[in-house]
Amino acid sequence: MAEMWIHMGPQHPMTHGLWNLRIKVDGETITDAEPELGYLHRSVEKIGERRKYFMNTTLTDRLCYASAMTWTHCYCLTAEELMGVEVPPRAKYIRTVVLELQRIASHLMWLASYLPDLGLITGFLYGMRDREMFLNLLEIPSGGRLLYNYVKIGGVKRDLPPGFDAKAERVMQTLERRLKEYEDLYDNSKIFRMRTDDVGCYSASDAINWGITGPNLRSAGVPFDLRQADSYDAYPELDFTPVTTSAGNGRSDCFSRYRQRIDEMYQSMDLVRQALVKMPEGKVMAGSVPVRARGEAFRRTEDSRGEALMYLIGDGTDRPYRWKIRSPMFTTVSAAPHFLKGYKVADVPAIMGSIDMCIGETDK
Amino acid sequence: MTSLYDWSYWFCEAWLVPLLTPLLYFQEHIMPPFSNPAGDLARWMESDPGLNVLAWTIVVNVALMIGFTNVIIVVYLERKIAARIMDRRGPMLSFHSLKEIANDLAGSIPEYGWKTTTYAGIGILQNVADGIKFFCKEMIVPAKADRLLYTIGPVIFISSSILLLVLVPFSPRVAASSAPLGLLVVMAAFSIAPIGVLTTGWACNNKYTLIGGMRSAAQLMAYEIPLLLSMAGVFLVAGSFSPMDIVAQQQEVWLFGIPMWNIIPQFLGFIVFMVCILAEVERIPFDLPEAEAELVEGWTTEIGGLRLGLTFAAEYIRGFVGAMIATVLFLGGWAGPFLPGEIWFLIKVYGILVFFIILRWTVPRIRTDQILLLGWKRLLPLSLVNLAIAILYVEVF
Amino acid sequence: METGQFVQQLAKRDGASDGSVLRANVGRITVTRAASQAFFRVLKEDFGFDHCSLISAVDNQTGFELVYHFSIIDMEGQMLEVHVELPRDTPTIDSITHLWGGADWHEREAYDLMGIYFIGHPDLKRVLLPDGFAGHPLRKDYVYEIHEEEW
Repeated sequence: MAEMWIHMGPQHPMTHGLWNLRIKVDGETITDAEPELGYLHRSVEKIGERRKYFMNTTLTDRLCYASAMTWTHCYCLTAEELMGVEVPPRAKYIRTVVLELQRIASHLMWLASYLPDLGLITGFLYGMRDREMFLNLLEIPSGGRLLYNYVKIGGVKRDLPPGFDAKAERVMQTLERRLKEYEDLYDNSKIFRMRTDDVGCYSASDAINWGITGPNLRSAGVPFDLRQADSYDAYPELDFTPVTTSAGNGRSDCFSRYRQRIDEMYQSMDLVRQALVKMPEGKVMAGSVPVRARGEAFRRTEDSRGEALMYLIGDGTDRPYRWKIRSPMFTTVSAAPHFLKGYKVADVPAIMGSIDMCIGETDK
Repeated sequence: MTSLYDWSYWFCEAWLVPLLTPLLYFQEHIMPPFSNPAGDLARWMESDPGLNVLAWTIVVNVALMIGFTNVIIVVYLERKIAARIMDRRGPMLSFHSLKEIANDLAGSIPEYGWKTTTYAGIGILQNVADGIKFFCKEMIVPAKADRLLYTIGPVIFISSSILLLVLVPFSPRVAASSAPLGLLVVMAAFSIAPIGVLTTGWACNNKYTLIGGMRSAAQLMAYEIPLLLSMAGVFLVAGSFSPMDIVAQQQEVWLFGIPMWNIIPQFLGFIVFMVCILAEVERIPFDLPEAEAELVEGWTTEIGGLRLGLTFAAEYIRGFVGAMIATVLFLGGWAGPFLPGEIWFLIKVYGILVFFIILRWTVPRIRTDQILLLGWKRLLPLSLVNLAIAILYVEVF
Repeated sequence: METGQFVQQLAKRDGASDGSVLRANVGRITVTRAASQAFFRVLKEDFGFDHCSLISAVDNQTGFELVYHFSIIDMEGQMLEVHVELPRDTPTIDSITHLWGGADWHEREAYDLMGIYFIGHPDLKRVLLPDGFAGHPLRKDYVYEIHEEEW
């Protein structure tokens, strides 16, 4: 068969969101690929230049529909650095708790969307069912289920209610039990391993060169976690080491990326428990938060999908002069042609699903 | 009254023809010579060939009705079992909920408290609702599709699948066909479908359907051979292609009070056959031709309306017939104590179908190259080994 | 290596100036456009900055400024912010995609939204906006008009 281009997207079951992957196939083998973005471009950076600093948290919530809390947190962290605001210690711990809960919810959403990509629709409902518990948890302090607007410049909106830790503990125990089930269902499944082992491989050095970060990089055996490398909030006071997995020889394949996210859920639950135990009493909001800012600042955080970096320039007014967002998926998708080449058409959903696309943050 | 055919022959002879022929004879005398053919028709109906044709028509229709009823049940079972596996309730639309829906549509408000509409039932009307939806959809032909082939393709697929229903007997009594080549005819009818799939895939002028059609052709070709080889073992032992003989043979040998159904001596053949029939009816884990993750809906992407509905029905028919063949070949067909043969047959068929359904909702889909490797490198040698075992078995017993 | 130490070493190079330490493990430096290519090569090969985090283009009204964020993939998380000034009439600079593959789309984005031309980029075209889009919307002088397109 002659080579032909196939469009996967913008409306296609493989694309979780609006984007387009053009693949060139020879029979069923991919010889070239080209991602196309921009279907969901809202120009958040430009809109943000016209709004006051504290208003932008509504925009950052909408950067990623699966992980709204982490993006707002990244923005608030940058704005605090820019304005020189000191966050009260209790707020730092609360942020840590909600961030890790959000990370679990995001990873569960990933798990839910990954298994239909492999043809197992049951996995979707399992993942969504478990994510529901964590959304309920996040709803308790924030009142929101998808977009929280909970983290504010200078702290968090509300304190955690009493009894939150008991509820969280119950939910986490349920998840631990279910994760064991999933390991039985997926890890031991011959077909699941056939679809994910040695598929979508890249080496650690390639990944670093292409700018891949987060779970996708750690799944190649690179212990790089910004929660420790460029620590923020309560993370310096918690006891943890970055989890890594590897497909052998410092490579990452679909299965190691799957394993990585499962392991990170365990780690996040551990972090939530630690933070809930160590949480100090006190205020949850800084006393005064300035409205105007001058200068420039950037902070990077470990988002659910990788390194999130925000760069803010203030010119002395109450609105940012320039606001730049680094989305981890934007860089990862740009490397997609490299790790798609040579695999089959049927591997495209397996590979692109395993890197955990979120098109909201990618298109900004 | 030993079989469905006998019954319908008796029905025609005793009731249908005596009731119809006076009408026709009466017409013969209304306006001769133009109405003379009515009398010819009546005389033909009274003759033996005419009665035969009428009897067979009834038999085939009854078989189709039984088949379609079972397909509806299979679809319902699939939805419900899938829902239970997924930890949800599944379809709940039933007669009980019609009243609530009517109330909702009429806008009636309950007398006090919150309205708690549940529509809760066991969901037997869901298939009806689906059917109505498929009927009401417009039959669209894509602008750049090859109109003729686009129309023919699904027809080939659907008609060849429906043909399967009348070819496999439920029991010696309920059988619409007794072809001496029996199961070979079934397999021949089974392998017509890829032509329809390829035709549709090509005619839609769409890359997804094209790849889906190609995959279907490659997969079915790879699995046809081990499928027939695994059946060949059974044919060898029975010395016949006829389902009646195959089932009868399975009753002959008993070992420690257990009937030696073919599943016991030819367990390898059973495994190969089940894998191949799964691939043949294109269900997960082998549903590559319509892998929705990468090919949207595979070769059915561009077809809609009643064509799509009947295609889905045809796929379930193929699954049902596959389970029927497996039962006849390996599970002793309609043999069983106490209950009538038809009931035993259905019990066994539904056992296999439930296994198919549970499998579908618990494993992911495998890849094109892997499915071909499995077919050529694993199943083909295994089916040959099974053939050797069958030859030994024939020599020993 | 101490952050201040490598910032000092880098600040001694041609065209580099204003070396400072922003916070622990994070340095800042300014480089001229002419010296940028050699500077980046040294940064990657001698100092081991193997990760290009972000390339932000800033419209300073008088000219453009490119802000590169480089980091090292290890648990110390050393980071360097490099500022390069570009004149307004010729906003061009050499591409760094041959050093950091991850810079590819960041450069395309800077071209797309801010109109910075990267010389030597393998495939410099718009990434977020459609191909026929007029202008570069993140520039401060971009006039926003409501386009009523017919569908």
